Amino acid sequence: MSSVDLLLPLLIAVPILAATLPIALGLWLDRTGWTVATLTTSALFIGATALASIVYTRGADVTHTLGGYSREFGIELVADQFSMLIVLLVTAVATGVLAYTRRGGPRGNTFYTAYLLLTAGLLGISLTGDVFNLFVFLEITSLATYALVASGDGPEAAVASLKYLILGTIAASMYLIGVAFVFMATGTLNMLELADAIPAAESQTLIHTGVAFIVVGFAVKVAQWPLHTWQPSAYQQAPDGVTPLIAALVSTASAYAFGRLIVTVFGVEYLTAMPNAAAVVLTIGCVSVLAGTILAVIQTEVKRMLAYSSVSQFGLVIAAYGVVIAGRSETAFIGAAIHLVGHGLVKAGLFLGVALVARSYDARTVDEYAGLAKSRPIAAGAIAVLLLSLVGVPPGVGFVGKWYIALGAVQSELWPVAAVIFLSTMLTLAYAARLLEKMYFTPSATAERPHAPAPVATDGGDAGPDDSAAEPARDEPGAAIAAIRGDRSEAPVSTGMVAIVVLAALGAVALGFAGGTIAELLDPFLTEVIN
Amino acid sequence: MVADIRPLAAVLVSAVAIVLIVASHRRPNLREGWSVVAALAKFGIIVSMLPAVMDGTVFAWSLRESTGIQFLSGIDFALRADPLGIFFALLASFLWIFTSFYAIGYMRGLDEHSQTRFFASFAASLSAAVGIAFAANLVTIFVFYELLSLVTYPLVAHNEDSEARIAGRKYITYTFFGGGVFLLAGTAMIYWLTSLVRSGPTLAFEAGGMDALAAAAQAEPVYAQAAFFLLIAGFGVKAALMPLHSWLADAMVAPTPVSGLLHAVAVVKSGAFGIARVILEVYGPGLIHDLPLDVPGIGTVGLNIPVAIVAAFTLTAASIIAMRKDHLKRRLAYSTTAQLSYIVLGLSMLHPYAMVGALFHIPAHAFAKLTLFFCAGSIHVETHTDYISEMAGIGKRMPLTMTAFTVGAAGMAGLPPVAGFVSKFYMLLGAGSMGGEYWLFAAALLLSAVLNVAYFWPVVYTAFFESEDRHDAKPLLEFPRGGLVESYADRSDADVAADGGQPTDGEADRSDPERADADEDGTDEYAVDEYPSDAEVPGGEQVSSVDHHGDFDDHLTGGPPADGWPRRSPSTETTWLMLAPIAVIATGAVVLGVGPDYAVFLDLARQIVGGVFGLPFEELTAVPFDRLVTEVST
Repeated sequence: MSSVDLLLPLLIAVPILAATLPIALGLWLDRTGWTVATLTTSALFIGATALASIVYTRGADVTHTLGGYSREFGIELVADQFSMLIVLLVTAVATGVLAYTRRGGPRGNTFYTAYLLLTAGLLGISLTGDVFNLFVFLEITSLATYALVASGDGPEAAVASLKYLILGTIAASMYLIGVAFVFMATGTLNMLELADAIPAAESQTLIHTGVAFIVVGFAVKVAQWPLHTWQPSAYQQAPDGVTPLIAALVSTASAYAFGRLIVTVFGVEYLTAMPNAAAVVLTIGCVSVLAGTILAVIQTEVKRMLAYSSVSQFGLVIAAYGVVIAGRSETAFIGAAIHLVGHGLVKAGLFLGVALVARSYDARTVDEYAGLAKSRPIAAGAIAVLLLSLVGVPPGVGFVGKWYIALGAVQSELWPVAAVIFLSTMLTLAYAARLLEKMYFTPSATAERPHAPAPVATDGGDAGPDDSAAEPARDEPGAAIAAIRGDRSEAPVSTGMVAIVVLAALGAVALGFAGGTIAELLDPFLTEVIN
Repeated sequence: MVADIRPLAAVLVSAVAIVLIVASHRRPNLREGWSVVAALAKFGIIVSMLPAVMDGTVFAWSLRESTGIQFLSGIDFALRADPLGIFFALLASFLWIFTSFYAIGYMRGLDEHSQTRFFASFAASLSAAVGIAFAANLVTIFVFYELLSLVTYPLVAHNEDSEARIAGRKYITYTFFGGGVFLLAGTAMIYWLTSLVRSGPTLAFEAGGMDALAAAAQAEPVYAQAAFFLLIAGFGVKAALMPLHSWLADAMVAPTPVSGLLHAVAVVKSGAFGIARVILEVYGPGLIHDLPLDVPGIGTVGLNIPVAIVAAFTLTAASIIAMRKDHLKRRLAYSTTAQLSYIVLGLSMLHPYAMVGALFHIPAHAFAKLTLFFCAGSIHVETHTDYISEMAGIGKRMPLTMTAFTVGAAGMAGLPPVAGFVSKFYMLLGAGSMGGEYWLFAAALLLSAVLNVAYFWPVVYTAFFESEDRHDAKPLLEFPRGGLVESYADRSDADVAADGGQPTDGEADRSDPERADADEDGTDEYAVDEYPSDAEVPGGEQVSSVDHHGDFDDHLTGGPPADGWPRRSPSTETTWLMLAPIAVIATGAVVLGVGPDYAVFLDLARQIVGGVFGLPFEELTAVPFDRLVTEVST
């Protein structure tokens, strides 16, 4: 048994140590980074799977106290049913994205150092049982992300990274101030100790203040409207190979941490009794759902559109937390957990698909996706499945998360929230269908391309240039695509890249059938924290 | 309940066919072969369950029992072949066989693009439709309902031009609003309501209504009413209840086999079918009748009354709109809107007779309307004519097609001996037995029959009894109400004299506003292909197509050739691939009308209604209605 809990520190320490290897080995060898990262993340995935099987079959938490100090003084790592979902997602996505970066870049050993540090930070967030330690891992994650975003091309990436750095640091400070207030009131930092100490604390005002700071801090980290502004530019400017990782995991881990604080540290019962707590969280979530979608619909860049979509999808998760607080609803919490995992997987797949398209055709705007279904049927199919999962078409995973969240809202009789959640299907459809329609039902290379191919020039500006330019394009899209996209068409898209997008799509559908299973897996955890 | 894999097999057989269709996209004959094989296999599987189901067996398949996977906590993903399910599945799969032949003839006749996507989506639609038929609970039906919206979208947007894309957008917006918002919200509310009572949360259909829901409705009547209307609205979108109907007419840009099987049978009937499930097996007539709605100023009415009013309004209004549609497929679409409301109206009258009539109207309308659409499509493929005003004398050119059209039109109007008469008769009996304000609904039914004649007779009349150079404007229909002094004959005669024998030229600038629109829309096509019919029809050859799929765009290309319609015999009017399905389906409509007792559908309908009220249908007639609902609800 003692050997099992060693897995916990290993899951965090191994990627941190491995992060030094690409640089160290880089002294002698070029391009070791990918190999090191692949070996490390694969090992992490195997370790996480082993740990998960123990946690879920045994039905009890696996804990490890660092250095043998008891949890009142030391730092504790905890793997329970909730955190293992996120650990599995993190390790799986971190491994999967490497299938793209092998050929798609960014290359270089330092990139993989940051990559592994980011993974370590995310695993730390998921596994820690200590609120200050959580801050440390949030910072490790953020610093690695700043570096990764800044490695994108051009000055815009640097600006995006700087914006993220400023807002991210403010958010982390907010969280730290909140923790400080809570520490003043209770004298402990361990999550389980806090759970006992908070309701008993004498100075409730300090704790209320702490909660307020923590909520704002996480609203920034999770990118909730109107504090989301760092997120679209960070997602857009980050290198294509990095965006899937960041989009799928960074905000997800923060949202997980927020959920952890709600159910484990403060406790649902305590927050229910706290005035306005539920209303604030619900409002943040619902407003973000609506605002994020509206902003997503008006975007022309696909990556930005998906970034704003994340604002609205995390809005659903935060709204679900609000329902958990307001109605003490287990169902909504299951929904939040499933939506975190499902959204992470779907967004990773979508951004990988976007990266693939950008790499093959340099197509980045919605209009440039016209006719994609004909030129890349498999990738387009996978993107379509992922988009539909995001919309919540059953049996995709998006439906499962939404069902539990909506059911939780209905059971708690929070009708406006339920209405927002049901309407979110339509709102998501508004931008997803735009992309689908472009890919499948808009012939490529029609009049909306300003630099249409040669025929206009050859027939000397006669009355019919419009017709003659449009007609051949409609009849043989292949030729027109080749004319426009020709210069980049030799850029190789590896089988691995296509395979990983397809795998994500299949995963999104497979998880759609796992709604009952995940609920069962979470059941012991929920009975502990909510009842 | 007998555990059996066949309900699943019936759903999956066409899903498997999708893979085969896509895989053989380079070999059209093989690809279409898979469609036919899948259609036959699906029908075979469903028929193999029919005798046992008619004896009272219910075949069930559940994901949890067969694989151990729980779909959602507390909710199983389950299929069940009960009488109501097999009723709809049998109809859809039977008609798919003939539609797949017809689709081959149609798509090849027009040399359509993206045929692989078309046939794959078509097979997927049938999978989803049978899934809806066999769904055993509200979540399962929701899953298939959403999938049906999804897989029919490529069929609506098939043309890939801006008109098709706009229609597609409208289609997917309406259907997802119905499914993803209303239906899902209603389902979640039912789950919550039933979790309030001791018998636990459930979503499974039960003949006569869910007991748990009946108990919960006593505690939370307002929420139970809200959930009822959410569910009805959710299914009502696909059943084209006003004001949620306007997607249907726009969806007519789809190729005609789609308009025929999906937008007259499988898709729209899945909405009507869903309403049947909600009324018969979620709430049950007893609960609907006993959960009164307090309307200020009127007093309390049953939950069914608002639904019946909407349906009665829809069927009247849609019939009136249909009269003024010159585009044949659009006229048929509004007729579909009206006829679907017959079904909803019959169901919402709650009387056993009305219910049997409503259920029997599902196949009765399906056979007749499919005939009409097939005829419209075959006219389009052969002559590129879509507008009724251009069909004068077309009876010479397509004698059998127009005869079948007449049969279908008679069915719509409910004239004996076509099937529509039987269903309408039962509904009138039901309305009469209920008495009171239900007489209004009976009046709406009768009025609608008259209107049906009013909008279908001109088509038949102009086809058989008018000729290309001598036909009049139909005063009620095409011109401002009351008619104009001028008529087609005057105008076209003058034009022919003036410009030397190109009657279509004269038709291009007629004064009807809809035509003016059509001209504007159609200018692009006009430049490409001005008079394809003039160019090729006189030789007797089939018109080769540019890209005409049956809406405003190709208005200018239709109509009779310069020297009038050539006279054809039934054997040469079109290909047997289209003619044979037309003949079979039209015959089916008559068989259903002449011998409903020998065709299986009426028996099934009686069995379903008997199951709902818990008595054999023959004994139901002896029990007064009030006792019927109160005894059932207890």
